[in-house]
Amino acid sequence: MEYTILLQELKNKFEDKILSVDEAADIFTLTVSSEAIKEIVSYLKEQQSFIYLTDLCGIHYPEQEKELGVIYHLHNLVANKRIRLKTFVSKAHPQIDSIVSLFSGANWMERETFDFYGIDFVGHPNLIRILNVEYMDYHPMRKEYPLEDATRLDKDDRFFGR
Amino acid sequence: MKTINSEHHLDLTQEDEKHYSTLNLGPTHPATHGIFQNVLMMNGETIVGAEQTIGYIHRAFEKIAERRPYYQITTLTDRLNYCSSPINNIGWHLAVEKLLGVETSKRVDYMRIIVMELARIADHLVCNSVIGVDSGALTGFVYVFQEREKIYEIYEELCGARLTTNLGRVGGFDRDFSPAAIQKIKALMKRLPKVLHEFENLLMRNRIFMDRTINVGGISAERALNYSFAGPNLRAAGVDYDVRVQEPYSSYSDFDFVVPVGQNGDTYDRFCVRETEMWESMKLINNALDNLPEGKFYTNVPAFNLPPKQDVYSKMEPLISHFKMVMGEIDVPKKEIYSAVEGANGELGFYVVSDGGRTPYRLHFRRPGFIYYQAFPEMITGSSLSDAILTMSSMNVIAGELDA
Amino acid sequence: MSDKDKYTVVEAPEGYSGSGFFATTLDKAVGLARKNSMWPLPFATSCCGIEFMATMGANYDLGRFGAERLSFSPRQADLLMVMGTIAKKMAPVVQQIYEQMAEPRWVIAVGACASSGGIFDTYSVLQGIDKVVPVDVYVPGCPPRPEQIIDGFMKIQELVGNEPLRRRYSPEYKAMLESYGIKTDSYDK
Repeated sequence: MEYTILLQELKNKFEDKILSVDEAADIFTLTVSSEAIKEIVSYLKEQQSFIYLTDLCGIHYPEQEKELGVIYHLHNLVANKRIRLKTFVSKAHPQIDSIVSLFSGANWMERETFDFYGIDFVGHPNLIRILNVEYMDYHPMRKEYPLEDATRLDKDDRFFGR
Repeated sequence: MKTINSEHHLDLTQEDEKHYSTLNLGPTHPATHGIFQNVLMMNGETIVGAEQTIGYIHRAFEKIAERRPYYQITTLTDRLNYCSSPINNIGWHLAVEKLLGVETSKRVDYMRIIVMELARIADHLVCNSVIGVDSGALTGFVYVFQEREKIYEIYEELCGARLTTNLGRVGGFDRDFSPAAIQKIKALMKRLPKVLHEFENLLMRNRIFMDRTINVGGISAERALNYSFAGPNLRAAGVDYDVRVQEPYSSYSDFDFVVPVGQNGDTYDRFCVRETEMWESMKLINNALDNLPEGKFYTNVPAFNLPPKQDVYSKMEPLISHFKMVMGEIDVPKKEIYSAVEGANGELGFYVVSDGGRTPYRLHFRRPGFIYYQAFPEMITGSSLSDAILTMSSMNVIAGELDA
Repeated sequence: MSDKDKYTVVEAPEGYSGSGFFATTLDKAVGLARKNSMWPLPFATSCCGIEFMATMGANYDLGRFGAERLSFSPRQADLLMVMGTIAKKMAPVVQQIYEQMAEPRWVIAVGACASSGGIFDTYSVLQGIDKVVPVDVYVPGCPPRPEQIIDGFMKIQELVGNEPLRRRYSPEYKAMLESYGIKTDSYDK
């Protein structure tokens, strides 16, 4: 299919940066190393016409060594092809290059990912919290934090089965 | 003094900043339909820059979704773009069906098309009449809200609720269209053309409205694509990207409809694109209703197809299986998918990562409103305050979709 | 002109009437005037706001009850209608708006989210606006039907019509406002 040619070209250019390929998923998925993500996105945008950034979100797998992940969905509108890129970083050094210079739409998406997971996007013009209150000191979507507000005093645990 | 943080950089010196005044627009403001804040830097009447603050209605949907079984997430999706809830509901059910690998029958698909296009009409009615209100024309708003009441009556026949519908099931619907529902839809389709014509007579070739909206808040197609715009805002800029045509779902490929495209990406183009989409939606509804095939209104998805209510109330096994399904005691394959539908504002995407348990491991909503609102400072720089108000209302930013 | 028998006007309060005069207490007369000309401030944040727009529309028409003139400025409003979810980020704004309103002022919490946090029991949602402002009437529902919103409005009208004139200057009222952290230093007259 068309993706085999694309995969071949990507492998030729970034041999060791591509960590794994999943062709059986619903969208062609690549897991890449976090240092090369901006190069790969730039190559896909300039050379392969993936000019539309559909989505950018974060994910947290506590049992992996590199726990925090960022997931990019790109779309080639002319040939109607989608591609998903995944990249993982550790909690101790959660730095990834920002792609705001390539896609202006990534500005708020990266801020939201920072707000929820604490991933530091290097090169972002204004990386501050966007949805939560400014004085919040933790990153709520990580798996170790609860959903409910821990400071509530009026919930009686007897009624909630805890 | 806070500096402008939008990507659209301004070379402001300290001297410049002393001459500019700061105006706070929001979060509670009659013109921002929804709560978000804009701090505008103004040079007299001209806007020099803007800084936005959102998150005033952040309800942590994505975190809640990690703790809810798949059926209970439908109620969360209602409250994303609450002017057109059925589209969100059906989009979510399509995502779950993609996860499970379920094919729906043609009847279900056509019924879904009717419901989704009704929701699209409802949303565009709100947006267009609100553009009129913000430019001073309240009459269109009051007229058009009557039609929304008729659409609410149809929703009540289908699912019992007016606004946050929680409509449908995985694999179809819980009941067929009743004769009363079909009669109401047909009556609405006869009534709506007259009302839309009257509404257009009020605004579309109105000299004052045209002067206020043409060349106001424009954005070029390249910048719009760079900002990941979608939906009517992108189509007004000239790019004909519509998920219903690009990646057809729910048998949209059986129908022939036009995707309207504008030229300048300004407010007038957005108004006209939404107006034309309403006419196309009406054609789709009429076509689907006339050609509604026979068949079942549900699909036998094991562990998701709720048994009929009479059995649940009278027999033991349907009662147990109903309880288990709603409480989520069923397993889902371990996969991740991305599924998109064409919402009223653009590509509404659901990225679901399932680890085989009763709740998703990660659910991310790709919300079009959140993404295109970033471009607002770039669109209003250089224009006056009243133009900024009209631009904001023509972009159809809905706070529920912005913050999730 | 028109058939007087077909239309009902507002009922007169209890009082003593004679030829050319009608005597009632000042409370009741002022209450009657106030309750039929409330100026609401629609603080619409989410889905309940859309149901409010439907209530103001021609089908359910809140204007029949005298609430035709919406005021978006708190300085000119009587009734703060909080409709929709209030997040913790928004809570100080609600309190600020409430402080800017002039006495007498009432608050109606429309919807489950404003009454108690609704279905959103999360870290970011305020579990009911009665944590920051004193509320007079709660209208449950998600979203409540326009008829329910009108019912809530009519209950507010009852409260307004029966309110004693000096209630807002009483020490109990001031103590209640202090308990919410709302400034009351101009309340000595």
